[in-house]
Amino acid sequence: MPTGFPTRALAILLLILLPAPLVIVVGASFSPRALLEFPPPGFSWRWYLEFLSTPAWLTAFGVSAAIALASAVLTTLAALGAALALQDAPSRLRAAAETAILAPLLFPHAALGIGFLGWLILAEMNGTGWGILIAHLVLCAPFAYRPIAVSLAQIDRSLPEAATILGAGPGQTFWRITLPLLQPGIAASLLFGFIISFDEVTVSMFLVGPEVTTLPVTIYARLNDSADPVVAAISSILILLTAGLVLLMDRLVGLRIFVDVEEEGRRPAA
Amino acid sequence: MSGRRLLLFAPMGLLIAAFTLSVAGLLWSSLSHGGPALYAELLMDAGIQRVLWRTVWIAVVTTAISALLGYPLALFLARSPNRNLWLILVISPWLVSIVVRTFGWMVLLGNRGVINNALRNWGLLDAPIRMLFTPTAVLIGLVHVFLPFMVIAILSSLLMQDRKLEEAGRILGGTRWQTFTRVTLPLSMPGVIGGCSLVLLMATGAIVTPLLLGGLRDRMLGTQIYSEIFQIYNFDRATAMAVLLLVTALVLVAPLRLLEARIRHRLEGV
Repeated sequence: MPTGFPTRALAILLLILLPAPLVIVVGASFSPRALLEFPPPGFSWRWYLEFLSTPAWLTAFGVSAAIALASAVLTTLAALGAALALQDAPSRLRAAAETAILAPLLFPHAALGIGFLGWLILAEMNGTGWGILIAHLVLCAPFAYRPIAVSLAQIDRSLPEAATILGAGPGQTFWRITLPLLQPGIAASLLFGFIISFDEVTVSMFLVGPEVTTLPVTIYARLNDSADPVVAAISSILILLTAGLVLLMDRLVGLRIFVDVEEEGRRPAA
Repeated sequence: MSGRRLLLFAPMGLLIAAFTLSVAGLLWSSLSHGGPALYAELLMDAGIQRVLWRTVWIAVVTTAISALLGYPLALFLARSPNRNLWLILVISPWLVSIVVRTFGWMVLLGNRGVINNALRNWGLLDAPIRMLFTPTAVLIGLVHVFLPFMVIAILSSLLMQDRKLEEAGRILGGTRWQTFTRVTLPLSMPGVIGGCSLVLLMATGAIVTPLLLGGLRDRMLGTQIYSEIFQIYNFDRATAMAVLLLVTALVLVAPLRLLEARIRHRLEGV
């Protein structure tokens, strides 16, 4: 299967099909009628205005954004600490710790959802933002750890050494040498954390309650009743937000990090 | 571990503890509340057996289709000079919430959806074809949702390859096809198998896509768990089924993981 015509044709077809359902959703969101239609029979902002004037949708959006922001920042800090702690650790200890950090990747989310629900009920935290946040922190941790660990491993060790020799204290070396060099990994970790938490639905759907719910779970609940253009409008906002973050990632660290992280991440696990 | 290191690792340690608590709690509560009797009851239940079987075949077929489609696409991306541009088309849909992507397929596949409407407008159909709420719809949705994972995994191992090996194959008189089957493909197998185990795991535990595209009739394990909790309110059965899901996923994925480790070992030994 060298890259001859059939391979190229199939690849191009897939590159059209992958974003196609999203394009359809965005198109249908501008329909002036109450029916989901593509191409839309006209153009209106009607459903966007309905989204903006429905408190329940706005609250869900706010909850999701707040949890995603907290997840991104907190998991990045935890991952940074863990990566630094494991940097010079004996290799067996390091391998064991990394297996533990990456373990959530090996469990089906439906089972994890029930697992979290079980102890959050006992702790009386089911149906609260805190319960959802804890679950998201656990789910984001592997995605925060990998880019930071990859970045840390790529740092030329002679640079911090040079700083120390030139008289910098450990704090100075960290803040002025190591941390700036870790920027790509930290940026990737923050963006990963935000996106994963903001989109998460499979685990969250077990943990939401009548008072606190996230945007994807609200969309899911609405779709279960009826698929109408207001859902398309909200979905379009999510699509736009995600595309914006991907472009930001492209600018800040390059999309190659997605690919590199994948390879590095599987190595210790294998 | 020194005290400073332990302190740095502590936040990540808390997350590992939260994860461990969920899994351990799941196992403990399934044994203490239902116990072996409940498992026996579930496994003897013809309905559950069908759900289990459907989960396995849908997950396996999803994985196989994703690998067959994902490989040519990854190969195309690996060789394309405009890789970054194409990667945006793969990564953006990948990061959009599963609910939104599944919603796109509801709009496409519904009885009054885009495909049926188009076919009717062109005079090709009198009555709509039923596509939504069929296993085919679930397969299409799952492949769409998980294909990017497969592509990224395969791409990462294609990009790791030393292109000189391929050149050597060609110089030594191999045809393009021979060079592909004897050099490129074997060297990229860790990525293929890694991608397969990831997709298999996620497809086994999927909830949202099978619920929205397959409906309540053709259930998978994830959707069964969901309805045990939210429609039947039977927490014990849901817990036992979550354990069943965990075991099923591990049994399906374990051989792939072993294979991946062996292939990596062999490739790195060269």
